Amino acid sequence: MNVHNQSPAPQDSQPAMINLKDIVVRFGDFEALHNINVEVKEGEFFTFLGPSGCGKTTTLRTITGFIEPAGGCVMVGGEDITHVPIEKRNIGIVFQSYALFPTMTVYDNIAFGLRVKKKLRESLRTFRKWVVKQEGLKLSHLVWGWNWKKKWRLFRYFVRWMKGWDPEVDERVREIARKVDLSDEQLQKAVSQLSGGQQQRVAIARALVTGPAIICMDEPLSNLDAKLRVGLRNELKKMQRDFGITTIYVTHDQEEALTLSDRIAVFNNGYIEQIGTPNEVYNHSATEFVCNFIGDINRIEATTAARMGLPEGEHHFVRLERLRVNQPVREDETVFTGRVLSSEYYGLYIKYFVEVDTQVFKVIEKNDGVSIYAAGETVSIGIARADVMSYPAEAMTVDAVTHAQ
Amino acid sequence: MSNRTAAPRKLDLSLIWKVFGTAFFVYLFFGFMLIPCLNTLSQVFTANPDDPLAVIKFFFAGNMPSFVWNSLKLAIALVVTVNVVGVSIVLLTEYFDIKGARILRLGYMTTLIYSGVALVTGYLFLYDNDGIITTWLVRLFPDIDKSWFSGFNAVWFTMTFACTSNHALFLRNAIRGIDYNTVEAARNMGAGPFKVLLKVVFPTLIPTMFSLTVMTFITGLCAMSAPTLLGFDSINPEIVRLAGSSTADEAFPQARAALLSIILAIFTIVLLAILSAYERKGHYLSVSKTKAKLVKQKINNPVANVLAHIYAYVLWIIYMTPVAMIVLFAFQNHSATSLKTPSLDSFTLVNFIGTQDYEYMTSRGKLRTRVGSISGVFSNADTIGGIKTSFILSAIAAALACVIVVVAVNYIFKHKNKLRATVLEYSLLFPWLLPTILICYSYRIFFNSDDVWYVFNQNLYYRENVRLLIIIAYTVVKLPFALRMIKASFYAIDEELEDAAKNLGASGLRTFMQVKLPIILPSVLAVFALNFNALFTEYDMGATFHSSYGKTYAMVIQNMTHEEGRDGYNVNATGRRNASTVFIMCVSGAILYLVYGVGARDLGERLEARRRWRERMKRMKNLKYVDTAAKWAIRIVRYHNRS
Repeated sequence: MNVHNQSPAPQDSQPAMINLKDIVVRFGDFEALHNINVEVKEGEFFTFLGPSGCGKTTTLRTITGFIEPAGGCVMVGGEDITHVPIEKRNIGIVFQSYALFPTMTVYDNIAFGLRVKKKLRESLRTFRKWVVKQEGLKLSHLVWGWNWKKKWRLFRYFVRWMKGWDPEVDERVREIARKVDLSDEQLQKAVSQLSGGQQQRVAIARALVTGPAIICMDEPLSNLDAKLRVGLRNELKKMQRDFGITTIYVTHDQEEALTLSDRIAVFNNGYIEQIGTPNEVYNHSATEFVCNFIGDINRIEATTAARMGLPEGEHHFVRLERLRVNQPVREDETVFTGRVLSSEYYGLYIKYFVEVDTQVFKVIEKNDGVSIYAAGETVSIGIARADVMSYPAEAMTVDAVTHAQ
Repeated sequence: MSNRTAAPRKLDLSLIWKVFGTAFFVYLFFGFMLIPCLNTLSQVFTANPDDPLAVIKFFFAGNMPSFVWNSLKLAIALVVTVNVVGVSIVLLTEYFDIKGARILRLGYMTTLIYSGVALVTGYLFLYDNDGIITTWLVRLFPDIDKSWFSGFNAVWFTMTFACTSNHALFLRNAIRGIDYNTVEAARNMGAGPFKVLLKVVFPTLIPTMFSLTVMTFITGLCAMSAPTLLGFDSINPEIVRLAGSSTADEAFPQARAALLSIILAIFTIVLLAILSAYERKGHYLSVSKTKAKLVKQKINNPVANVLAHIYAYVLWIIYMTPVAMIVLFAFQNHSATSLKTPSLDSFTLVNFIGTQDYEYMTSRGKLRTRVGSISGVFSNADTIGGIKTSFILSAIAAALACVIVVVAVNYIFKHKNKLRATVLEYSLLFPWLLPTILICYSYRIFFNSDDVWYVFNQNLYYRENVRLLIIIAYTVVKLPFALRMIKASFYAIDEELEDAAKNLGASGLRTFMQVKLPIILPSVLAVFALNFNALFTEYDMGATFHSSYGKTYAMVIQNMTHEEGRDGYNVNATGRRNASTVFIMCVSGAILYLVYGVGARDLGERLEARRRWRERMKRMKNLKYVDTAAKWAIRIVRYHNRS
């Protein structure tokens, strides 16, 4: 599959598909979610990002109906579904472990939801119509008449139907399988015979086959190795664009969140610290936590901050790639002289650890093959004031952040 | 806040199921576990209305304590020898590099396919007064005591080899689970092979060894078939004898049987309490993330190596001789079996199928013929009746135990950490605390009456009803084992599977039938097979409920040990007994193969096997050269004929 560019964020004018209002979830005395408010637009790829135990999966499970909130409501398409049973919410889920039924073939896994939803009488009617149309047979041929060849053919079809085969289901399963790049041969395999990536596609196909309004994915790439994860990330985004389905994605991987999402909600200790586009979250982090959690960062120590003329009583941070090594001085830039302590070679770029007075800065430099600095070498480091992100030293309480939102 | 679905509660089918299920389990626990056993307990104190302690006083005044002591002596002796032999066979086949380990393993595992009464009669066939080995020994050493194989030593010897099945299964798994990196690390630090065995390998085996020791002790304490057939006074045979006795013959027979059962139960409860307390302590586990497979250790000392090989093959001979002899003599006619001289001329299938007449000389010198006196297993009405009874009763009971436990475990997992689930689990484990004989004895006494209202005032020990009683007893006794095994298999079900099915709209029943059950089915079938195998030749319960309406296969086999040739009847009882054992080995072997071999395959393996089979069939169809070869063969033959 080709790599596609990130789709533009849905417009504000678009209607809200999911609306979480003041969601509170408690497990015994422990409050896992505190007044969560989220609005997800139709067709949006929305990510819940945060460290382990921050409440992102709990929020997802509240939306899907596995957890009943102690307070607040879940609205989908303007309807309150807080107390609607799981199976009636029309929300597809891709689980972390994929949760593919190991005793069924790929085909049966995908067809499961359709078979469950189809009533027996309706299925028999479809089957009867199909037999008449395709084979010119009537179910009565099973009993009446002496054409044993016909009887045998009909009997075999009937046995197939008894095992769960249905012409409409079959058509839908094959259609969705084509869309997620699963061949007919793969459909007949057991899930254990597929690779991790193929299993993920089966899980997505199974979640999409019943035509849900929303699809929720709970860390679906976490079981895969790094290389496959990058490949599938692009496929996932393409599928979401092709189907145009509203997607909620849970991950603790910031890179995944930044590359896939239209918007991100950063969770911490059961609160949402910030909701915004990847650019907003990365370059204009609302809180110190978000700033530290997303990407690698340098904290500017008080003495260095004073030399830069940064206000006291605040914590100052600057991203690694914003530091400029041995470059001509810019207007609002403060230049420091430091010594390279060590470096890490990543191929595309090189990470340097530069000692400036008492502080060690981490710096990322594009690997142009020419300007490579050895340990012990003296370099100049330029930091622009505009690139510095500052937060009050007395950290803003998370309640206050939520309130501000 | 609760972690549950948002479905509103309403009166539906599931509620009816819940009520029905609760009623059933309450009925099962109180009706067939608690009340009959409490009745037995009360018997001890109500046998003599004037003195509640009369039975206990009588018990200690007479020779009854000797039965308890004998059982204890047997249990302690077995703990030592079974562990020595059990650990030896596992180390010789799995840990040390011994030549021919595969063949040795097959020999050591023969006890898995024949056990209980079949095994004991097999040993009798070899070592009894007129047994093959005794006969050969007498020929070599005429002064030897022909009846050497009886009493405590015979029981001890037989059970030592009969009780190593658990070691062959569980200790083998434990030793295979050892992380070889730990062995390598110890060797790297300068430890020799035997030091590694003592300091690294054995400590990891201790939890398994402890469990096996407790189980062996209980087996020794509750031994039934070996003491009965080999003539040793221990608790269980005495209980069965007393249960069948009347007050006209001796004082308080039933009450004394009850007291013996209770003593046995106390021992079992104490031992199981020790075991579970030990299990709760935790185990030694390798903490490495990547375990290395155990590599067999070479014995570097040549003398030790030779001695180990000799020891391994001597053990193998002890295990294999009864099997080989039983199989060999199952196909020998009556005279060859009597004279213990097998030959090709004596080969016959009459021990399995068909009948023959028997000619014999009377004391007055007349030649008489007893028509159809020699008969095969499948032609002898008595034997075939026993097989039928045992087959049907065992199959029903094994299936019932599985169904009850599957339903119960599904409920237990759905309501984890809730009191009602814990109560249900412990009630199903209850029979584990009681010796089988106590349950059977309690049933025999309690249900031998028309006054039990909850079985509709039917006497369950009367005529054909006894079969129902046997089924209930078999089922109840097998519940704890089924629960432990099936519960373990439920842990393999990923909780997200249930969530996924629910999300796709499946009801609880559909999720259970289409998602969960297929996952646990191999384990359920394995439990069914193991229970069926155990029950098919089960002796303890068969002996307790023995009657003409409930004569099990084990009882038929036991009868074959002392009816041979009397007045020309059942002349080939020994041959038929051997044939029976061969039949049991085949049935058990086939079931174990089907369950562990074919049944253990996952869907992927099954689909792959099906694909290979189809390809093979396709190739067979496309074999044009077969046609061509046939045509050429015909041409060659014609050419030869012409020339």
